[in-house]
Amino acid sequence: MFFVRVNMTDRTYSVTDVPEKYKHLAGRGLTSNVIADEVPALCHALGPNNKLVFSPGYTTGTSAPTSSRVSVGGKSPLTGGIKEANAGTSWAADLGVLNIKALIVEGFPEEKGKFWGIAVTWDGKPKVEFFEATQYAGKPLAEVHPAMYEKFGEKISVCSIGMAAEHGYSNSGVAFNDQYKRPTRYAGRGGLGAVMATKGLKFIVLNRAGAPGVEIVDKALFEEGRKKMIDALRTHAITKPKGGLNSYGTAILVNILNEAGGLPTRNFSSGRFEGAPKISGETIFEKNKERKGKEVYNHNCSPGCIIQCSNTVYDEKGEEITSCLEYESAWALGADCGIDNLEDVAKMNALCNDYGLDTIETGVAIAVAMEGGLIPFGDSKAAIELVHEMGKGTPKGRILGAGAATTGRAFGVRRVPVVKGQAMPAYEPRAVKGIGITYATTTMGADHTAGYTIAPEILGVMGKQDPLSPEGKAGLSRAFQATTAFIDSSGHCLFIAFAILDIATGYQGMIDEVNGVTGNKWSADDILKLGGDILKVERKFNEAAGIGKEADRMPEFMMKEPLPPHNVTFDISDETLDSVFGEL
Amino acid sequence: MTEIHIDTWLYGNLAVYGGDPNEHNFANANVPLPEGSVLQDLLNSLGMKTEERGITFINGDLSAMPGMQPDLDHALKDGDRVAFFHLRSMWPFQYRHGVAMIDEMQSAIDNSEDMGLRHAYKLPDDD
Ligand code: SF4
Repeated sequence: MFFVRVNMTDRTYSVTDVPEKYKHLAGRGLTSNVIADEVPALCHALGPNNKLVFSPGYTTGTSAPTSSRVSVGGKSPLTGGIKEANAGTSWAADLGVLNIKALIVEGFPEEKGKFWGIAVTWDGKPKVEFFEATQYAGKPLAEVHPAMYEKFGEKISVCSIGMAAEHGYSNSGVAFNDQYKRPTRYAGRGGLGAVMATKGLKFIVLNRAGAPGVEIVDKALFEEGRKKMIDALRTHAITKPKGGLNSYGTAILVNILNEAGGLPTRNFSSGRFEGAPKISGETIFEKNKERKGKEVYNHNCSPGCIIQCSNTVYDEKGEEITSCLEYESAWALGADCGIDNLEDVAKMNALCNDYGLDTIETGVAIAVAMEGGLIPFGDSKAAIELVHEMGKGTPKGRILGAGAATTGRAFGVRRVPVVKGQAMPAYEPRAVKGIGITYATTTMGADHTAGYTIAPEILGVMGKQDPLSPEGKAGLSRAFQATTAFIDSSGHCLFIAFAILDIATGYQGMIDEVNGVTGNKWSADDILKLGGDILKVERKFNEAAGIGKEADRMPEFMMKEPLPPHNVTFDISDETLDSVFGEL
Repeated sequence: MTEIHIDTWLYGNLAVYGGDPNEHNFANANVPLPEGSVLQDLLNSLGMKTEERGITFINGDLSAMPGMQPDLDHALKDGDRVAFFHLRSMWPFQYRHGVAMIDEMQSAIDNSEDMGLRHAYKLPDDD
């Protein structure tokens, strides 16, 4: 495997062997370690000293199921701390097949307003060519992605940034192609798109032709692991074909969270939205059935995924409005803004993809602006216009593009649902307290993907503490965050966690796959430790950046304002929050 | 005898029990029951077998999960909101960790082997 460094100051590159120190790392473990080692914690995220690191997971590019994930790391312009965002895409698999363990984008072009692309091919080792891409700037991504396929052929994969990134927004993602060549798979959170834009880099095109593929050290073990994982995914009710995710997508959670009183509504002022059923996974499924004349099951976002959770929303004429509308997006652009018009929510989702915006940050920022009186709650047409303004870069659009926290300041709003500057996702922490602990303490800023659960007997947390006691919750959050850090490194989509929580052999399958690829002999305990080590590196970076444990807190209004319908506040003590990582 | 009314929400294919056999998305029915009724009575009145439902809420409190139904004898009051989910619905642990539950559910979880970290998703195949 290789380290490829692309220097955007003078548009040169180097290819070296993987330094010894990084050999055992991949995915998030690798991106976070490189950032911690090479990026000064106090640098400006949009300045010359920040870097952007892409790394495929251990199993990415192999035949392991649901493993085409790429991690993108850098210092976040949104949180000011370390950031890892990941996406499922064939681009990830191609990076693995091209034997690139890390693609590091560094430097800073002198000329402003110019953009370049790089094309990576195989020539005995990875080879990088630069091309001028300024002519593709200032246009929606759906318009410019096809140009890359015309230029470089059909068998490529494409990473890109949109207009949000070009404007320098803290809300701007890095986009990747899906299975239909659409730029719809995002490493969305934390503003890494803007970091890529400051480097003058618009596209990273990969062509895997002739590349050797990922070397697998112990093929028998890998095959064994792969089989266990496939069995787990195929039998679990959530992940199996025509199961929960394949039928309804992640938007299946809309109605559930609503009934539980945990669906943040109208800028986190209630936990229940009367219009929730209209934007739910069930409604998408039923409307699609009507509009397409048959049951439409979901598709895969990336090669080799057997869960296949990506939905499509069709309009009345049966034409696609957007794909995919995730739960978090349906919620952010819907319930949180008081909007129950599914087609308009889908339209906003499509616009976010086109402009390169993170849907969660976008929806939450608009909801905060609604509370500030910019437009009324529930006005979907005005909300669509605001997303356009973000794309165009009008002054109003730029305020929103800076994220929910900045929007709150601009409009004098006190109820601003962020942690470490990042907008909270779709689970009200006053009603779902376990996730609140993770929002507060993760290194990433409020993030629902930071603490996934896996088979508890493997974690060794069972039988020690009541998971519902504050100590139990803190202990679980720590174990889950460590495991998640490892899954983010494995190359697997986090949704495998649904199956491997209940089916312990699936978890062992993941470990076997990773050991098979790397030749390591890691045990479940080692993995918990490796995950914990990643968190330590990330927390150290954040501390050096001035984000210590004082930042591991919920916004004040959540401690004070009771949330209907349960009328509860967030009552987890500071000591409990501190104990999550006090013992790491 | 006094009547009570239950604000009943039925999701997915359970929507047919709301009265319209062609509804598969959601239905909201106001179900009258005699005072003193329990959840099982509501199911009887809807004509729905308890095995057909999965995740269930009473006034936003979790009362049942697939494979765990401690709520059948739960007494209902006038105006209660009861929501029944179909069996393909899901709610992974990390998204429900620390939510409100009815007392019966809380003690069922406390007494379960894994304290609710997992729950049986072993369901009859509904495809
Ligand atoms: S489970 Fe969904 S998000 Fe994950 S890789 Fe598969 S299609 Fe993509």
